[in-house]
This record gives sequence, structure tokens and C-alpha cells, in this order.
Amino acid sequence: MNPQLAGLDDLEGTYVFDLHTSNRAMKLNRFLWKMIGTEARAHFSKDPEQAMTEAGLSDTEKDLVRRQDWIGLIRAGASFFVLEKFARVAQRTNLEVYAMMRGETFDEFMATRRVPECR
Amino acid sequence: MAKIIGGIGTSHVPTIGVAYDKGKQDDPAWAPLFKGYKPVADWLAEKKPDALVFFYNDHATTFFFDLYPTFALGIGEQFEIADEGAGKRPLPPMRGNVDLSIHIAESLVNDEFDITTFQDRPIDHGCASPLPLLWPHAPDWPGVIVPIAINVLQFPIPTAKRCYKLGQALRRAIESYPEDLKVVVVGTGGLSHQVHGERAGFNNEEWDMEFLDLFVKNPEELTKLRHADYIRRGGAESVEQIMWLAMRGALEGEIRELHRNYYLATTTAMTVTLYEPA
Repeated sequence: MNPQLAGLDDLEGTYVFDLHTSNRAMKLNRFLWKMIGTEARAHFSKDPEQAMTEAGLSDTEKDLVRRQDWIGLIRAGASFFVLEKFARVAQRTNLEVYAMMRGETFDEFMATRRVPECR
Repeated sequence: MAKIIGGIGTSHVPTIGVAYDKGKQDDPAWAPLFKGYKPVADWLAEKKPDALVFFYNDHATTFFFDLYPTFALGIGEQFEIADEGAGKRPLPPMRGNVDLSIHIAESLVNDEFDITTFQDRPIDHGCASPLPLLWPHAPDWPGVIVPIAINVLQFPIPTAKRCYKLGQALRRAIESYPEDLKVVVVGTGGLSHQVHGERAGFNNEEWDMEFLDLFVKNPEELTKLRHADYIRRGGAESVEQIMWLAMRGALEGEIRELHRNYYLATTTAMTVTLYEPA
């Protein structure tokens, strides 16, 4: 256990992205990361199934991507910082992704914010 | 001899870049953020530093997790602004100073800070989100940047204390550069926020204020905190505030806070501060 991170077990809704997670979910994260390239984006838009198979995603991971299950992807080991690149391709803003990860509608989530118009 | 004349702390929220590009500077929801940068931009216009050293983090754009550097320094005449999935931003490439960057790399490594170097790679919103709020970009940026990326994404990440020491080593590097350059050190990130998991949207204004006060008066205290402390108090991604401590290390000793703007609108406590050596 990394002593810098000890004592977080009771902190709910937080998934620390460490080398264990990174190693386990390398293919998923690489697939999401590649969305910063125009060619990868075009390929995914044209044939998402083919793109996911080429990336070596498991059936579970493919399903999470198909359903744009953001919290499921985080639990499967995705780093938020590559997930947000896929969110751009899926035409979702980060605020929308936050709401879905919390299990709230967008309006419910924004109602909890101080300046909901700031988007 | 080159000299550090001040420090800037700033958030690097990607949405700031989006709002900037869409021209939302006078939008009532965004104006408190943009107006808050004006005194810092004015100070920079008056002091005319030659270089801004950016302690920032890559967001798995320049580097991927298969080879993720703990500390990495950019070298180049220019740095392209990265496409992060939504296409290119309408901004000119950021400018660099090859000799200055190489000197800093040599000084850091000889000082036992074995930093990675990168060349010819685009840089993401870690630098590019706040830069146009600090410096004008038309017709071109008025100076160069020295980008120093710190891994705050994939644990293990450097300790708060190690970041502070990196700042101290940067100061030795700057002060041993033969040209009379004026340098400002920028620490980016924060303040409180969490962007993943069901805890996304977490903030803690009380802790943010405590952090900003300790930052000036007692940074040692902040260097003693563990990553878990930052995660619990300020939200998971607020751990990136250790990059502010790198800037504080470069300004070691007493400092004066000339300006502070804090705007917690939606999910990140967007903050900008300006410091000068006391």
C-alpha cells in the first residue's frame, strides 16, 4: 500500500488511479486516449465495433462504451482524463458526465451548483 | 543573471479555454472569472517578464500511461496547443527558448533532479487554459514559456515536499543562467474539485482559504500533508495543488500576496493569485 494514499478506504465515490488500475485497464485507457487523434475519431465514428475490437477491449468494456456508462467505465479502471476525451467524441460536456456519474439528471446536478449558468 | 520576479497561482480548468474561445468574457456567469485575471495580466504587462515557467500537469495528452514521466521539461522554439478530442483551438503555438530550457534541464540534473525532457510534442490545457488570460496572444505571445510537467494523474505521484524541492532547484537553475532575464513562476491547478466518481462535484471553500493562507505564511505545513489529506480535504483531483508548492519553493522565503480571485461557480474553485518576494 502506498503510504501517501493510506486511510482513504471509507471515502466513497472515489477511485484512485494508481499503477495497479492502470496496468489492469491499459487497453481500455489507450482506446479512450486515442480519441485525441482525428483518424481514431473518424474510425470510431465509422465503425465503433471494429475500433473496439482492434483496441482489444473485453466484452464488458465494449458494453460500457456502447452504453456510455461513465461511472461503469471509471469502475472498470478508466482514468477520467482519457474518459473526457471520449466524452468530446460522444458530444457530452464534462458537466453532463459529472451528473451521470453521480446518478443525477443534468438539471438536478446543476441545481446543486452556485452559478448554474456558468457553462 | 536571470531572476525570479514573482509567482502566479492559477487554475487550469479546460472550460476556461472553451469560454475564452467562445468570447464569454462579459457573460455575467463568466465575468467574475475573467475580471479576476485582469490585475495579474496588468502586472505582467507592466513587469514584462521574458519567461513564464509553468509547473503544470499533462492530462494524458502529451504522454500516455505506458510511459508517464514524474517530472518532464519541454524544449523547443514553440509548443503546439494539443487537440484533446474537440479539435484545435484558435491560438498560436506557445513560444519557447531552447537555450533557457536546456540550461534548466542541465542544472536540474546536475543538482540531482533527474528530469525527463520532451521535444516536438503538443501541450494541453494544463498550460493553455490559463495562458491567454495572463498574456495577449495577438499578434503573438510577448514571451516564452518553460513547461515543466508533473505527474499528478497516475499514482505514485511525487510528494508535496518533493515538488517544493523541485521549485528550490528551479530557482538555482534560473539564478545560474547568464542572461539578464526576468522570470515569473506559475503553479497551476486546483483549488478544491473532484471530477470522477460519485463524489464528483465535491468542494471545500473553508479548506481552500486555509490552503491560500498557509501558502503564504507557512508553506512547510502544506509540504507535510500526504496525498490522502489533499484528496479528502479538497477532492481527489485537488491533489494537483502540490504543483503550487513547486512555485512556492521557487519563491522561497517571505512573499506578499498582491492579488487573489476565487470563483467557485460549478465544480472547480477557479482561483488566481499573484505573489512577489517580500
